[in-house]
Amino acid sequence: MAGVSWASVIGGLIFLTTAFLFNHTFADAYQTSVLTAGRGPVFFPRIILAAMVVLSLLVTLGGLREQGAEFRRSEILVVVFAIALTGAYIFSIDAAGFLIPTLIFTFLMPFVLGYRSVLVALILALTYPLAIWYLFNEVFLIILPSSPWFEAF
Amino acid sequence: MDIFSLGLEHMLTLSALVAIVGGTILGVAVGVLPGLGSVIGITMILPFTFSMEQIPALALMLGVYCGSVYGGSISAIVVNTPGTPQAAATALDGFPMAQRGDADLAIGWATMASTIGGLFSVFVLIIAAPQLAAFSLNFTSIEYFALGVFALICIANVSRGAMSKGLLAGAIGLFLATVGVDHVTGDMRFTFGNFEMTAGISLIPAIVGLFALSEVLIRASESMRVKAIIAHNVGFRLPPLSAWRPRLWLLLKSCTIGSFIGTLPGTGAATSSFIAYSEAKRSAPNRDKLGTGEPDGIVAAESANNAVTGSAMVPTLALGIPGDPVTAVMLGSFIVHGLAPGPRLFTEHLDLVYAVFLILIAVNLVMFVVGALGAQIFTRALKVPEPLLMTMVVVIALVGAYGVRGNALDLATAFIAGIGGFVLRKAGFPLAPLVIGMVLSQMIENSLRQGLLLTRGSFLAFFERPIALSLFILTALMLAWPAIRWRYSRKREAQDDIENT
Repeated sequence: MAGVSWASVIGGLIFLTTAFLFNHTFADAYQTSVLTAGRGPVFFPRIILAAMVVLSLLVTLGGLREQGAEFRRSEILVVVFAIALTGAYIFSIDAAGFLIPTLIFTFLMPFVLGYRSVLVALILALTYPLAIWYLFNEVFLIILPSSPWFEAF
Repeated sequence: MDIFSLGLEHMLTLSALVAIVGGTILGVAVGVLPGLGSVIGITMILPFTFSMEQIPALALMLGVYCGSVYGGSISAIVVNTPGTPQAAATALDGFPMAQRGDADLAIGWATMASTIGGLFSVFVLIIAAPQLAAFSLNFTSIEYFALGVFALICIANVSRGAMSKGLLAGAIGLFLATVGVDHVTGDMRFTFGNFEMTAGISLIPAIVGLFALSEVLIRASESMRVKAIIAHNVGFRLPPLSAWRPRLWLLLKSCTIGSFIGTLPGTGAATSSFIAYSEAKRSAPNRDKLGTGEPDGIVAAESANNAVTGSAMVPTLALGIPGDPVTAVMLGSFIVHGLAPGPRLFTEHLDLVYAVFLILIAVNLVMFVVGALGAQIFTRALKVPEPLLMTMVVVIALVGAYGVRGNALDLATAFIAGIGGFVLRKAGFPLAPLVIGMVLSQMIENSLRQGLLLTRGSFLAFFERPIALSLFILTALMLAWPAIRWRYSRKREAQDDIENT
């Protein structure tokens, strides 16, 4: 990844997205200018998007002067695994409720982040999710998602 | 007096008192742990506040806010790792004192200075907020538009990194908040036919992702290590009164700096502590010893950073305009609890405003007791391995994101915001303008459209109103400031070159 700075890459991506969205503001669905004296639903977003086009271009060009991004392979792997595990956890909450996915996540995540004591991770996984679940469901009465298999959790 | 009694009555309930003590203890613990900080601390306790009544919920948040600003000083002194960026200046003199074996005395100085700074800023809040609220009653949508733009530009300008990145982050925040239903015409915007997008992007899940999840990813990318903690003589020893006397002027000056900076949008406790420290280095009685374990440095940094806590609430409570992400989260939570900060709060719910004042006073006093009794216990929290801590943060933060509306879609919002926050931070974008942009977007858009209706479509007429014009001039100066500074430094360099040759 050395050579191109993060700022240029992100600035460029924002520029492309913004240009698309700016163009989208001219879609037929938004053409209500006769009724709204030109200040319809996209009046304000269009001003913001125009500013974003200019600013993202400035950031992209400014990023060319910055140093290229350099990452160690192991660090990228940790981030990718952390994102994948968190994503899997979040999307499994909808399907399997709060408690079971949290138990698995709380056990696995410390290892992804470099922790190595199985016993401590297991103790955390068995206590912390249960404590959170009990506290919110029973004490604060904020009902967390339940699984389709068990009535209580 | 009646209003004061009502405020006192609100505060003197068992649940509010428990929230004050619990919030402060939790806040100090969050502050002690490096990497958590005030924003993550507040997002972590958000889910607990959802089922609480108004006053205890506010008390819990204010406790965490003030406690976390102070808590950072303990780890700064004991292990030379500031728990929060606000305490970075404290480490400069606190750690050398700890190395000398005076960690307990350094914590004593920090605790006392933090308490005095915090109380000072509450009095600034008590005096300034009602005045500002009364003054702003004359504001029309044009002034609010000018004020919103000024606040956002300030935050974008003073944030870490290049100005263009700060401005772009602010603009992204403004744009993200326009997704969903247009509140004026009822049209859908940028939903691309997706029904779930009509409700827009929820603020709290976005903040959870941007700050808490992205922090975990940032730490993951920097290889977490379980650091060995060298615990010095940790405890609490109050400096004698005679040692305070020569430092009273420094204390007052640092409190004033902190309180003034706190009221400005974008600048926070970290900036104020460094400015106060620089001022101490310039004018304190023992300025030559600063950096070698001199209490003057701790007094300046700690009184200034805690003096921000109350004064940062001035624009938040009086105008409904948050100055930083912490007050933005609090503003969002106030609204969840049916309180709409702004001038009307002072005319319609003055008892609640007084309750907030009294809670802040109580929090600062409790903070002193917590620091005095618990410094040693809090230092033990530093031994919790970071991977375990970060795992717990992810879970509780996601419960916070879910708890706002009980909608699983908010978890996805937090996740996407987490990845977005991580990428933006890696590219050097500040996140504070993005959050403030999201908070201010609706106000800026509505006031712009209403203002144009008032002036029959003429934007130039916005400049005919004196307050708005002053704010526009200040905004222009803020935008031009980097160029002015650059020209000035070039001129100075050229002069130096001439003198040298």
